[in-house]
Amino acid sequence: MKTAVADTVERGPAVPRRRRFAPAGRASIVDRVALAIAGLMVLIALVGPLLAPHDPYSVNLGQALHAPSADHWFGTDANGRDIFSRVLYGARVSLLATVIVIAVATLIGTIVGTLAALGGRVADEVLMRICDIGLSLPAIILALGLAAALGPGLRSAVIALCLTWWPGYARLVRTLVRDVRDAEYVEAARTLGVSTPRLVFRHVLPNSLDTLYVQTTLDVSAVMLVISGLSFVGVGAQVPSAEWGAMIAGAAGNLTNGWWAVVFPGLAIMLTAVSFNLVGDWLRVRNDPTLRGRRS
Amino acid sequence: MTPLLELDDLRASFPGPDGPVEVLRGVTMSVAAGEKVALVGESGSGKSVTARAVLRLDRDASLSGRVLLDGKDVLGLSERAMRDVRGARIGLVFQDPLASLNPVMTIGWQIMQPLLIRGVKKKEARRRGVELLGRLGVRDADRRFDDYPHQFSGGMRQRVVIAIAVIAEPALLIADEPTTALDVRVQAQVLTLLRELAAERSMSVLLITHDLGIVAGFADRVVVMRHGAPVEQGVVDDIYARPQHPYTRGLLASVPRIDDDPSRRLSTVDEAALEGEVR
Repeated sequence: MKTAVADTVERGPAVPRRRRFAPAGRASIVDRVALAIAGLMVLIALVGPLLAPHDPYSVNLGQALHAPSADHWFGTDANGRDIFSRVLYGARVSLLATVIVIAVATLIGTIVGTLAALGGRVADEVLMRICDIGLSLPAIILALGLAAALGPGLRSAVIALCLTWWPGYARLVRTLVRDVRDAEYVEAARTLGVSTPRLVFRHVLPNSLDTLYVQTTLDVSAVMLVISGLSFVGVGAQVPSAEWGAMIAGAAGNLTNGWWAVVFPGLAIMLTAVSFNLVGDWLRVRNDPTLRGRRS
Repeated sequence: MTPLLELDDLRASFPGPDGPVEVLRGVTMSVAAGEKVALVGESGSGKSVTARAVLRLDRDASLSGRVLLDGKDVLGLSERAMRDVRGARIGLVFQDPLASLNPVMTIGWQIMQPLLIRGVKKKEARRRGVELLGRLGVRDADRRFDDYPHQFSGGMRQRVVIAIAVIAEPALLIADEPTTALDVRVQAQVLTLLRELAAERSMSVLLITHDLGIVAGFADRVVVMRHGAPVEQGVVDDIYARPQHPYTRGLLASVPRIDDDPSRRLSTVDEAALEGEVR
């Protein structure tokens, strides 16, 4: 009779599946697939429009809601537009908007968070209260306000998200930097005559920002979804534009007789989100020499 | 001859909830060029604060008195000028060799850093780093140069830390309890290395320790500190043979000896007897 204990002994301690594939310091199979998909998404965002077989905006009501076929790989939507072409075009819109939001939020967040952690008590108080203000504004309300002021469109959505997303990063970076700031190795570097900027950039930040990488890649999916949500309520990408979130919102009403119009843009969002999450995890392990050692 | 390092009535106080707390109450001592001095005392006696005050590491400390390095007072130097003192004139070795190494940088990068920030070319810095690491007894120094701190054992890490502290050839090495985190056999190896390095480079060493056992074989002179001020200082042999101050006598008596009667209770410093005398 096999007991649970014997079973454990035979198979060895539970090793996370991803680790088992991984030779020391190299990407596992899952990592590579994720990297490939994320890379493919970026590539589509860059050259997608060149590959599209149809014009994503040409309405052909005679071909409305056709199921996937050799001519329309992903089928057509209620206006007869080719969904495959629209998904390819949409990669650029969705990814670009997401990347802009995350890049801006990370940059502002890192600067503000680092200043708050290292700049003394007054700077810390002032910057964190500003963060509180930012955190208390819901992205949707701000986006509605901006849409009223600047006119609805992806630009308003992106600005609103940048303004509401950075305080989270500032908070995170402040905590991460504070953890490292008083570490003995930072002080040891100071006893060698290392200048303050070099202390910050070569000793404090490299040791604090691992968690930030993971957060940014996790946020790719979150930001993408919020942008889609804003598009859905009408303050993001406008109706005809090929944006994944807007496409899903527009096709949701036809889910029963045209599932492909919802599923394929949804799959695009999901694949992008999952692959970026996995890439983030891989980056984290790659940047932490302690974890890298354990993987072997 | 002016001593390499001279502390003259050094006082340090830190802000506390009820006003400043005086931690150093007038430290006067000196280290001559090439001399090895041990600074001993119990926890909280101000040994480490003294070392840190010399390099002005505690930003919230208010320091007074004089810290003369080659006759020049470092307390008056700008933060910029201090950077040329730290690492290049005075090296510092911390107690915990793992905590004082940056976990995400290779040890080679960290050994080269004091040279690189002073404009030495990378190739030259690497050559000198590998050579020094080999000299400190790390086998395969060239290959291990690109390893990370967690891949080294405790004793090897302390050698790396020493390499970092001395690569820029400081005139004085301050070692703050460098052997406390190590086992006894590695302690002896590290102390031997420090002694050899000091002799080869005619470098002065200020060894901070609470372990009187390692002082006798290492230092030329000893300074005994208590409550933030030296109570006695002199040549090691004299102090061990004829301690003048009752606190020194108490400290020496409290070191267990191998030929002690095992049934004898361990001796402690008699605080009550000291109070009248010291305060």
